Amino acid sequence: MMTYIVFILSIVFVMSFVGFATKPSPIYGGLVLIISGGIGCAIVLNFGGSFLGLMVFLIYLGGMLVVFGYTTAMATEQYPEVWVSNKAVLAAFITGLLSELLTACYILKDDEVEEVLKFNGMGDWVIYDTGDSGFFSEEAMGIAALYSYGTWLVVVTGWSLLIGVLVIMEVTRGN
Amino acid sequence: MKPPILIIIMATIMTGTMIVMLSSHWLLIWIGFEMNMLAIIPILMKKYNPRAMEASTKYFLTQATASMLLMMGVTINLLYSGQWVISKISNPIASIMMTTALTMKLGLSPFHFWVPEVTQGITLMSGMILLTWQKIAPMSILYQISPSINTNLLMLMALTSVLVGGWGGLNQTQLRKIMAYSSIAHMGWMAAIITYNPTMMVLNLTLYILMTLSTFMLFMLNSSTTTLSLSHMWNKFPLITSMILILMLSLGGLPPLSGFIPKWMIIQELTKNNMIIIPTLMAITALLNLYFYLRLTYSTALTMFPSTNNMKMKWQFEYTKKATLLPPLIITSTMLL
Repeated sequence: MMTYIVFILSIVFVMSFVGFATKPSPIYGGLVLIISGGIGCAIVLNFGGSFLGLMVFLIYLGGMLVVFGYTTAMATEQYPEVWVSNKAVLAAFITGLLSELLTACYILKDDEVEEVLKFNGMGDWVIYDTGDSGFFSEEAMGIAALYSYGTWLVVVTGWSLLIGVLVIMEVTRGN
Repeated sequence: MKPPILIIIMATIMTGTMIVMLSSHWLLIWIGFEMNMLAIIPILMKKYNPRAMEASTKYFLTQATASMLLMMGVTINLLYSGQWVISKISNPIASIMMTTALTMKLGLSPFHFWVPEVTQGITLMSGMILLTWQKIAPMSILYQISPSINTNLLMLMALTSVLVGGWGGLNQTQLRKIMAYSSIAHMGWMAAIITYNPTMMVLNLTLYILMTLSTFMLFMLNSSTTTLSLSHMWNKFPLITSMILILMLSLGGLPPLSGFIPKWMIIQELTKNNMIIIPTLMAITALLNLYFYLRLTYSTALTMFPSTNNMKMKWQFEYTKKATLLPPLIITSTMLL
């Protein structure tokens, strides 16, 4: 099972996307977002990126999602909608889940899928070891490279985040 | 909006487009698109009425979807070619996805539905930025991947865009919607020629931007957003009515004016490549565009509708609206040929 763990996690990832795409109310959408963030972190961990995965937990879930949860809790109504309370939401949710299950069964059946791109059965999702970066983990080298060769990228993303804050403030100011 | 914030946001809009145009790494191009989209949202929402909020939301949703599609195309290209450099895209699926994403950003048919609604919900100045500056970035990427674009797909999109732009604008009296349908039609002309001679696309884009800037500035001088208020312009600014006359004829593509240059060049390039029916169809449907431009000039400059006697002469105040660079813009939009 451990060789197929990334495959299983990817399927559950997409299912949780279905869960928050059919958001019944923001608070439940945020709940599923937490679960999908955790699963995404697990996928990154399985590829050897321990630092980045834990970053996802710390900053994304522990920082941004907590603030989102608090603001939603201040703005929510007394009886928020759930997935089973509205027939349209329930139908969309079940449709999404069924499509994902059908895709997964299609992949599992032949052990090779050539729909649009050639997925080599389980091969593309199995963990394997490649590359020789010696004793250093690849992802730590990547992060180090971001701050040395990728300085321009850090500047651009930092500026984009600042602009994101300014834009949100401007949009919610509402005269 | 406070001036420092406005300066920062305008600078970011320009920086986003510059990053898209100057990068060779696909990730940085995507970052440029996102920066541009994020920073233009408060510009679209200047007025804080529900119409503007709805317009900005529609713009944001379509552009975000297009960016996601672009990212998927970039990832598929990475899977098959192993590198991030923008160059000839060898995989047809990646190329089709990128083309679809970029035409969604431009507002080509069948993804044109957001253009009239967004342009109508925002102010004239924001509409001007939306229809001119925001077209530069996707066009530059289409220029760079032009050797590997699927011609059938883009030609189909271009032909339907010219049709939609012509027919859709026929029933409109709101000036912003008319300019939006004009933008759809002109983007169609530009998309038709990218795979054959991308330089003509750049020529068409430059002249289209000059003409649209002049048109919007003339509308903003009078603060008019409907044909009705344009028709009252004859006793306020008689000079501008004649300017609108020649500018509309130039937009419609009539010969001695500079709006004819791109149409002539595009038809010439298409016929050099043994395509007869498509340029004929495009030229015929450009007549639909010409009809609604002519209707605007008829009600503005050529007819004086019956009015009561005290409306015949308005107080001739000196107007205080600044029209930046308006005379050179008008001259280049009409006299280049």
